[in-house]
This record gives sequence, structure tokens and C-alpha cells, in this order.
Amino acid sequence: MTQTNKPMHPAAVMYAAEEKAGKLSRREFLARATSLGLTATAAYGLLGMTTPAKADGHAQQGGTLRMQMEVRALKDPRTYDWTQIAYYTNGWLEYLVEYNNDGSFAPMLLESWEVNDDATIYTLNVRPGVKWNDGSDFTAEDVARNIEGWCDKNVEGNSMAGRFAVLIDEATGKAIEGGIEVVDATTVKLNLPASDISLIAGMADYPAAITPADFDPENMLGNPVGTGPYKPESLEVGVKGVLVRNEDHDWWGYAAGKGAYLDRVEFIDYGTDPSAWVAAAAADEVDMFYETVGDFVDVVEGIGWERSEIASAATIVIRPNQLAEVDGMKPYADKRVRQAIAMAVDNAVCLELGYANRGEPARNQHVGPMHPAWADVPGLPYDPEGALALLTEAGMADFEMEITSIDDDWRKNTTDAVAAQLRDAGFKVKRTIIPGSTFWNDWTKYPFSSTNWNHRPLDTQILGLAYRSGEAWNEAGFANAEFDALLAEANSLADADARREVMAKLQAIMTDEGVTIQPYWRSLYRHAKPGLVGWDMHIAYLPQIYKMAFAA
Amino acid sequence: MGLFILRRFGVMILTAFCLTFIVFWLTNLGPNLEKLAKTQGNARMSDDAVVSWLANRGYSQPLPIKYGQWLGVLPGYVIDGTDGEVRARCAGPGEAVEEASTFCGILQGDWGFSTVAKDNVSAVLPGRLANTGKLMGWVMLVMVPGALIVGVLAGMREGSRTDRTLSTASIVTTATPEYVSGVLFISLFATGTFGMQWFKGTASSAVENATFENFFLPVMTIALYGMGYIARMTRASMAEVMTAQYIRTARLKGVSFPKIVLKHALRNALIAPFTVIMLQIPWLLSGVVIVETLFTYQGFGWELVRAASNNDIEMLLGVSVISVFVVLMTQLISDIGYVYLNPRIRIS
Amino acid sequence: MEPLTWTGAVGAFLNPVLGIAVTLLVVALIAQLVLGLFASPTTLQANPDGTLAASGGILGKIETAMKYLFLAVIALILVYLIAPLVLPYGMVGIIGEMSQRFLPVWIALIVTFTISIIYKRRLGLYGKLFDSTVGMIGFGLVMFWVFTALFVSVFDLIATHDYLTQVSGLKNKAPGVAVPDGTAGDIPHYLLGGDNLARDIFSRMVSGSTFVIAIAPLATIFAFMVGITLGLPAGYYGGLLDTILSFVANLILAFPVILLFYLLVTPEIVQTGIPSYMAAFLFVFPLIFFGVLLNSRYYTQPQKRTAILVPVLGILGWLYLSVINQKGTVIDFLPAWFDLFDITILVVFVSVVFVNAPTVFRIVRGLTLDLRTRDYVAAAQTRGEGAWYIMLWEILPNARGPLIVDFCLRIGYTTILLGTLGFFGLGLSSESPDWGSTINEGRKLLLIFAHPALPPAVALLSLVLGLNLLADGLREESLKD
Repeated sequence: MTQTNKPMHPAAVMYAAEEKAGKLSRREFLARATSLGLTATAAYGLLGMTTPAKADGHAQQGGTLRMQMEVRALKDPRTYDWTQIAYYTNGWLEYLVEYNNDGSFAPMLLESWEVNDDATIYTLNVRPGVKWNDGSDFTAEDVARNIEGWCDKNVEGNSMAGRFAVLIDEATGKAIEGGIEVVDATTVKLNLPASDISLIAGMADYPAAITPADFDPENMLGNPVGTGPYKPESLEVGVKGVLVRNEDHDWWGYAAGKGAYLDRVEFIDYGTDPSAWVAAAAADEVDMFYETVGDFVDVVEGIGWERSEIASAATIVIRPNQLAEVDGMKPYADKRVRQAIAMAVDNAVCLELGYANRGEPARNQHVGPMHPAWADVPGLPYDPEGALALLTEAGMADFEMEITSIDDDWRKNTTDAVAAQLRDAGFKVKRTIIPGSTFWNDWTKYPFSSTNWNHRPLDTQILGLAYRSGEAWNEAGFANAEFDALLAEANSLADADARREVMAKLQAIMTDEGVTIQPYWRSLYRHAKPGLVGWDMHIAYLPQIYKMAFAA
Repeated sequence: MGLFILRRFGVMILTAFCLTFIVFWLTNLGPNLEKLAKTQGNARMSDDAVVSWLANRGYSQPLPIKYGQWLGVLPGYVIDGTDGEVRARCAGPGEAVEEASTFCGILQGDWGFSTVAKDNVSAVLPGRLANTGKLMGWVMLVMVPGALIVGVLAGMREGSRTDRTLSTASIVTTATPEYVSGVLFISLFATGTFGMQWFKGTASSAVENATFENFFLPVMTIALYGMGYIARMTRASMAEVMTAQYIRTARLKGVSFPKIVLKHALRNALIAPFTVIMLQIPWLLSGVVIVETLFTYQGFGWELVRAASNNDIEMLLGVSVISVFVVLMTQLISDIGYVYLNPRIRIS
Repeated sequence: MEPLTWTGAVGAFLNPVLGIAVTLLVVALIAQLVLGLFASPTTLQANPDGTLAASGGILGKIETAMKYLFLAVIALILVYLIAPLVLPYGMVGIIGEMSQRFLPVWIALIVTFTISIIYKRRLGLYGKLFDSTVGMIGFGLVMFWVFTALFVSVFDLIATHDYLTQVSGLKNKAPGVAVPDGTAGDIPHYLLGGDNLARDIFSRMVSGSTFVIAIAPLATIFAFMVGITLGLPAGYYGGLLDTILSFVANLILAFPVILLFYLLVTPEIVQTGIPSYMAAFLFVFPLIFFGVLLNSRYYTQPQKRTAILVPVLGILGWLYLSVINQKGTVIDFLPAWFDLFDITILVVFVSVVFVNAPTVFRIVRGLTLDLRTRDYVAAAQTRGEGAWYIMLWEILPNARGPLIVDFCLRIGYTTILLGTLGFFGLGLSSESPDWGSTINEGRKLLLIFAHPALPPAVALLSLVLGLNLLADGLREESLKD
């Protein structure tokens, strides 16, 4: 890793002090310090530590890895909605920055970056010597063009636009004039109109794959230009996708000692039913799973596979929508109804029945101990009698709640567990289940439904995405001016301790308003057969194929 | 005869026409188009984006026009999209819009483009059909002889205990749907739970290389369910033949029982099962869907489920045309075969 | 509480006995089958005292041995079933307690069989069923589930726990597990264990029977109404009407069933109202059927006709409106007090009727084509009877044999079809205890826990088997006419 020679960001030093004082978790420290431009080595150095040795030191060069994974159709990376797509394209489309399980951000196609004190100017230093696999040089122009593309709201389904909202001109739906500035061949400067500390995290996310100049999303396989070490050999959607080493291409990572040990990676699709995956594993048709869920953890271990586990902030929310109309009224607009729902459900039971106890119970606040500025705010007590009393007081005891969920294993089971507990408390409940193919048509509009949310590094990210008034993904229909004001305040506070005070208020509002049931934090699992290295489950499902190898 | 076959083909085309129109209409209903946009665009796309996504790709045109384009009687759309890109129905990926032909539909031999597989329907579907053909071929090889033997054994002595046992066994197999027997087979023979891990619980490797290990369970799952029905038909037909006058005459003449069964009864007893076997084929198709899904075998049924759950319009149309063809072809063959096999019906 | 074992204290000495008896029975059966293939056919000889000589030799001995062994096994099984009634709770283990739970069903079955056998000569085709062993077994199996469904749904018997209650700590627990204090339903055990969501599998299985027993026959009846109402005129008149109707029937039959379900059963298609319109169309056929049926019979006596038709059509019409009228769909015009009930799974119901009706149509049409050339039809035509009278009162009764047989088989197919829907996760609610959904639920974890999937699978199998056997028995007996 290349050390930046620029002066260290002042906040990073402050964070290191906090970490040492025990106010900041190590994960959060690394996340924050590296997102400000420090290398992981430098960040560990601030703590007076050395970077932990990498486990994949004894990797073997070569080999074919067969991985069970849903093989999905390719599309414009900006519109990726499944990390599985990124797994395949990661063979040749790489990222500027990489987010790691220890919470740090490591430079990839960028060599380093600096962020000014109030996080309004980002200076991105492009890694020199990186070449596209058609032989041309990777330059600052490429970075600028990609960021401009991320800021294009006119592309349907462009989810990068949400991550780079600060750079977008509302009127044109494009990047603001002068926002992206190419300083020289290896430097790009982002001039933000307002401070935003989450841009580096955005660049590390899976839709942020860097595409070449004449990129055609309709013909990604026909013309697979990228910077990565592999090239696509074949792709049959729903069946199999194969990546092979691109022998004609001198990948920058070889010189940097990054790896790319495997010669060939096969992604084989066994559908969405985990028992079929297990059957494939038992038949020795795959070496590794994409992800193992719920009860299948035990099943796969029964056939002798190894486990990789990571505690994450991935979760499920089962929320009433406060704006939804049922029979001409808004049943969940009443705070008492929502509180009653939250009080009638024991989150530990949801975890036991819904996710086989593989995680930690949560407090319905959608901010947890793994987040830097989490405050220890108690949740509502579990009190079914009190819940029914509250519901009766609101005059809704006779109302039949319809709880919707997608048709799959843990999300369905958790929602069933919630429904059963509400029923036990004396509520009237009806369960509806919708196949995965149509569930997302109306996912923000169901009166009462469950949705899974992935891990986000920072505490304010999810609150901003899912609970700020008027947000597109605000599925709870939650609108609270005080909440919005506090959230804006929290977003401008870089110091975790200062922010924790605001977070305590935010979390208290989440609890008091009974916005949602957010019963537990999931641990994520992946299994592989013995003899593989560098295949750890990623906390945010990010593809890092170059790290995987057979053990020497 | 020629006229009869010609008329049947006419009916077939008319049926395919009506059916594809119905499928077209259902898949082009608002909610299904929205589903398509969300699976193809982005699952958490906003409503405005859905509308413009659909408009840019020609899905917002009136239904008859879209259907006409699919048939190839109307020129394919060329749309200057709101995102500044020009898209044409007839331009495949990587093809310039200007070079695309004006018409591209069934009549021009173009089956359209599968949105899920990201490939031409005509490139995907034949491979899937070949896979299902392979599966069905093995099913037939196991099922037909098995069913006929069971049926003949049961039917040659009606009411005997052999008959009772075999009949009950065939009823039990018809009463066991594939999703029950397949599940039981996998848990018994493909896992270590019962110490009998002899076969593989998935058949996706059988697509390239079918072996006894990976193909036995799916074949048996379908074959067993179909077997009972054919066996019972054979039994009934055999039992009827065994009571016929000429069999009685042969017995009175002192011909040995095995000889009577093999030389005199068998041929006549097999006419009725033949028609049943032919008519069974379309019926087995729904079993194929379940088994291919259960064993992740990438055949026709698997493609149908995938296309249906993703609202892959043109793939579904292709699937419907083929299924109409299969159903009506088997009917035709069973009608013609019946005439040729039955000595009592002779066309002058 | 101690967990229950399968056969409890009594099983300790009864099990080995039963094991030996069953083994011997199986050995004898196989020996007989093998020998039977090679032995010469039995020639029956009348003895002077009027009895028939049984087959002699080794085969005959096995035959006799089998008879006694079979009786012994039956007797032993009866002990398992009857003993729990007199012994204290838990003595005969899970089997004994299940038998105890099913007590009302046993009583109802014994009463039904006794009455039916006593009066079988006066009961027509139904009575003749009791001449056929196969038919009786089939009828027994079917009635077992019918009574179970009845007692569970109407009298709230049999089920031990609420089928939706989840008890923490009982997830995927083995059969016979004791429940924690304070959560006991009627008994302090989960007889067949807990499922993936810690619900009682036994209660879910028996509650599931109500769904299957209610939906499958009802959907089949509707399919028959549609098929008969259209098939009769198609076969009777022939011509253009026949051509068009047959074409439409073939069109539906050529439609891959799964695709049809996928297209119809998605929640948003329900919003467009297509299933509601289909329901409105399909469910009008029973009205037409009964209207025409009664009108053709009594149209010569207008007063009597009106007296019968008005109440019948009135009630049917009310039911019809209640069925098609559903809150939140396009057809929602009735005031709530007038709307008798909402069928929650209307879409599934409509789809099942829709795919079954064309097959029935083809059968009825074929039968009608055959029967319309009969003399009694010509006689009726000569008498000047109306076409509908001939179809409904002359042809239909004579076609009843094959139709009843097909009806039994078709209920079985419908049951399987509903399970298929569950398999693909279409239509039914996820908590529904119906067998198809529970099998699909259980199948996912089959590799580690076999017990949640097996009870519904066995239940479904036994019901479909019973229907098939019943159909076989009916076919046999109706052919004897």
C-alpha cells in the first residue's frame, strides 16, 4: 500500500485519541480515519499498532474455484441491485476504493485521497501505472467521467445518484457545474456545496464499478474493457458464469502484490432454494457458497465445510406505514398503535424463530452497537398486556392488521414470528406473502411489511435513507420535523462523542414513535470446503475475488 | 388423411395465435410490466423511473401494436429515449440502430429477445428443449416398459393377488405427486442422513454429462408418477383382452398360458396404452416443471418458471408456442397411431 | 414433563410382537407373489357340499398363513388404538395419544360403516361400494379426513394446540416433545414435534385437512358444473357450437398450468380485477345449471316451477354474490351485512376451477356424443321433450357412472394441484397449514429435520390414495350393472 505524503487529516488524530480512550470502537476508527484519506497502515500506526498480517500469505497460484451464486443478467453497474452481479463483473470492472471487514477503506484504483477539514473538498489521487485491458492508460479523466455518470439522475435505477446526492444539481439532474474538477492526469478534485463525509464509503459500494469511456451497458460481454485481472469467458444467466485470467493484460495488482491467484472462477447458479445448494455441495459440484442463511449453517457444517462468520448491521425491519390507507383510514398514523405493536413483540423470539439465534437482538432503533455513535437508549419494554390495552385505548382492537412479507426463508419466518406474537397479544392479524418477483413492486407502500436492509458503515446513513421525511425509501412513511433537524445536525458532527448525544435523541424518537420493529442484527455466514484462503464473508457482500485462493 | 393432418395443423396455428395473444395481454398488464422494469432496471427504482424505463423500451405502446411488432406485421419501434439514447426493437446488443431491419417478428423468424437470459429466445430455447428431451427420453425408457410389464402382469390374471398388489402399488405411485416423491428421494438417497448417499441431489451437471448418479433421481421421480396411470390402463386393456373369445378358444385348444399372453393377447392389449402414453406427454410437462425446479436441471420447465417469475415476455411467448405444439402434436400422433395400430379400423 | 416415546410403556412388549408378525406377513406376501407368477392357474372345483375347493399345495398353505398373520397384525394395531382409551395418559406413547385424539373420528367412521353396511342394499351405487374391499378402504381413508376436517373446524376437537401459536424453545423439536409450562394446549406435548417456527405439527396437519377438504371438492364441483353445462349442449347439438367450445377447451388445455398460475396468482393481477371477473363468469354456471335443470323439469307446471325456482335461485344468487363480492377488489358493491363471507383464496380457487373445467367438458361432451344415439333419447325426442330436458334428465343420469369416478379422481388431482401451488409459493398465505405449503416448508430443512415434512406428506398421500381407491371401487361396482 502506498503511503500518502500529505499532512494527516486533523480529525484522524482526534479519532485515534478517542479510540485509545475507549470512546470509539476500532472498526469505527478505521472506517472514519481511512475514509479521510489515511491508509490502513497509517491508521493502525496512529493507534501505535501495525497492520495485522494478512491470512492469505500461503495462497497457491492457480486453480479453478467453483462458487454457488445466483448468476444474474448484467446491466449498467450504476443500476446494480444485487451484489451477485458485481461479483461477476468484478473480474474486469474494479473499484476506486475498497471497504474491508475491519471497517477500513483501502485505496484500489485511487492511490490515496485527502479530505479537507469540513469535508467539502475531496482530492482523489489516481493510482499511476494502471492500464485498461485494451492497453490505454487509466487517468483522472476516467475517474471524473465515472463520477459524472454516478451523478446522472436521468438514468433509471441509478442508485449511485443517492450516494452522491450532494453533488447533483436538482434542476438538471446532473452533476453541478464545477463540482468535479480534473486537476491533472492523476488528480481529481470534488468541490462539494455542503459537507458530506460519506462519499468515500459510496465509492466503495458495489454499484460504483469503474467503467471505460465507450462503455455500452447492453453489450458488456461483447466488449469487456476494464482494469481487472480477469475477463468473462461465458455467461448463461441463471446457469453459469465463468471468469478466466486475462493473459494479455498486465494487471496493476500483480506489481502491487494484490493476488488474483485463481486462474478460473466459475459461478454456478442453483436457484434460490438453499437445500439445492446443499445438495450441490454434497455432490461436490461447488467449492464455496455465496452466503449461507439461517438453519442451513448447521446443515453445511454437517458435511464438513468451514465457516466464515461476520457480525454486521444487516437487519430486517417490520414496519407499519404511517401514510398507508386501509379502508379509508390511516390505521398506523396513531402513535399508540405503533407503540402497541412494538411492545407486543419480543425481539429475542424473532431472532430465535426467524434467524436461528444467529445474531444479536436489537432495539427497534436501526442503530446499533456496531455503529460509532450509537447511544445506549433503552427500547420499549416487552409487555403484551400493556400493548393490548394501548391498542384498545386507540380504538383499534378490532382492526385486522395485514402483514406482508416476501416469500423466502428468514425474512418470511421472522415476519411470521412477529405475526404470531401480535396474535398472542390479542391483536387481529392476517399474513400475506408475496413472491420475490413481485414483492419489490410496492415495497414502500404496503401498510405493514418487512424489508431487509444491508450493513451501512455509519450510524446516520440508514436513518437518512429510510427515515428522513420524504425520502424515496422511507417505507415507514415517517415524517418528523424534529427528527429531520436532529439528523442534519448529526450529519455535520464528525466527532462521534458529540454526535452520540444527538443520536441518543434520534434513537429515543425512533423508540417513542414506534416507527418500526427492527428485531435483530444478523450475523452473515459463508461456507467453503476446507483448503481455501481469502474467502471470508464480507460484511457488506462486496466482491473481492482477487483475494481468494487455494491454500498452498 | 392428408386433409385431416392439414386441418389439424391449421387448428394448431390458430390455437398458437390465440394463446400467444392471451399470454401477451397478461404479461403486458400494468403490474407485470412494472415487475419487468423493476427486475431489469433496479429493484428499488422510483415510480417515475419505471414509467420512463418502460417508455424508452417500447413497452408503453398500445397492445395491438406491440403484438403486431412481435408477429412481424408491423415495423419494430425506434424510440429516441428520454435519457438521450435511441433504441430500436430490431437492433440487438452491440448493433447500430441504423443498420437494424424494419420488421423483426415471428414471421421474419425472429423469436425476440429474452430480457432475463439477455440473449435471443431462438438461441436459448432449443438448448433447453434438448435438455428436457434428454430427461423425457430417459423417463420414457424407464416408464413405458416398466408400466407395460406391471400392467400386463396385473391384467393377465384379473383379481389375483398379483393383480391386487401391483394395482395397489400403481395407485400409490399415481397418488404420490412429484414434489412429495422427489423430496423423499433426495432426503433418502442424496444425503447422508440415512446412510444411503448413492445419488446426487442436483441434476445441473447432467446437462453436460448425464450419469447414473446425477440423473437417476429426477428420472425416477417423473417416471414413477406417470407409471401408475399407464400401468392401470394397460391392466384394464389386458384384462379386457383376456376375456375375449379368441383367447378362450386358444386356452381350450390347450395353448400354454405364457404363450397365450405373449403371442395372442399382448398385441391387442397394447393399443389402448399407446394412446394413453402419447396423451400423457403434455401432462408430464407440468411434472417436468416441478422436477426441473427441484433438481435445478436447466430444461424447458425450469426456463418456464424463470421466465414466468421475471415476466420475460418474449420468452414466455416462445414457451407457449412450443407447449401448444407439443400438446396438439401428441394428440395428432395418438389419433393417427390409433388408426394404424388397431386392425379393426382400416382406412380404405 | 417427560417427552413421549412413540409407543410408550405398552410398546415395550407389544412392539416386538408386532414386528415379528409384520415381518412374517411381508415374507409370506413376497413368497406368494413369486410363487404365484410360476404356479398354474387355480382351477376351482365345486365340492359336493356346495363349497369351493381352495388352492392346495404350498401356495395354499401360504394363503392360510397369510390370512391369520394379517388378522394378527390388525388385532395388534387395534390394541394400540384402543388401549389408550382405558390406560392413563402417555402409556401408549405418541401413537396412543394420536389415536385418542382421533376418537371422534373413529366413532363417526364406525357408525357410518355400520349403518351403510346394514342398509347397503337400499343405497344404490353407494351401497354397492361396500361389496368391494378396495372401495371400502378408499372410502374409509377419505371419510377419515372428511370427519377430521369436520371435527377440527366445527367442533374444535382433535387439534391439541392452536395451529399458529409459536412456542419459544420448540423449534424443530422431535415428536413427543414436552411443551414449557403455561403453554400447554389440550395436552402438554407436541405429539409430532415442532416445526421450523415452533408450531405444533400435529395440530397443523389436522387443521390443514379443513383447507384441503373444503377447497378441493368444492373447486371440483364448480369445475363439473361448468363442464357439464357446456359439455352437454356441445355434445348434443354438435356443429358450430361444439367446434367453438372444443377449440376454447383445447386452448386452455394447451396452456401450461404453471404459467397460468404465475400469470393469475400475482397480487397485483388481483388488483386489476381479472380473477374477480373470471370468478363472476365461472361461478354463474351453477346458477344456470340448477335454473335450467329445474326449469326443464317443471316448465309444464308453471306454478310448481316458480315455487321451486324462486327460492333455489334466490339462495344460490345470494351465495353467488357473496362469493364474487370481495372487499378491496373491483367487484365490491354489496353492503357488508349482505355479504355472507369472503373467500380469502378466491384467486387460487378460480384458477383451479379454470384449469379443471375443460377436461370435464371434454369428458361430458364425449359421453353425450355416445349417449345421444341411444333409444331412450330418441323416445324422449318423439315424446316432444325439450332439448334441455333430454340432456339433463335423460343423458346426464346415464352418464353418472364415469362422471362420479372422474369426480373422485379429480378431487385427488385438485389436491395435488393445490400442493403444486404451495410448492411454487403462489397464492396461499405463508402461515396456512394446508398440506402443500407445509410440505414445501418442511422440504427446505429436510436434510436435517425430516419430521416436519413427513406428516403432511403422508396425509396428502393417504387422502389422494383414498380417492383413487374409492374411484377404483366405484368403477368396478358400476361396471357390474
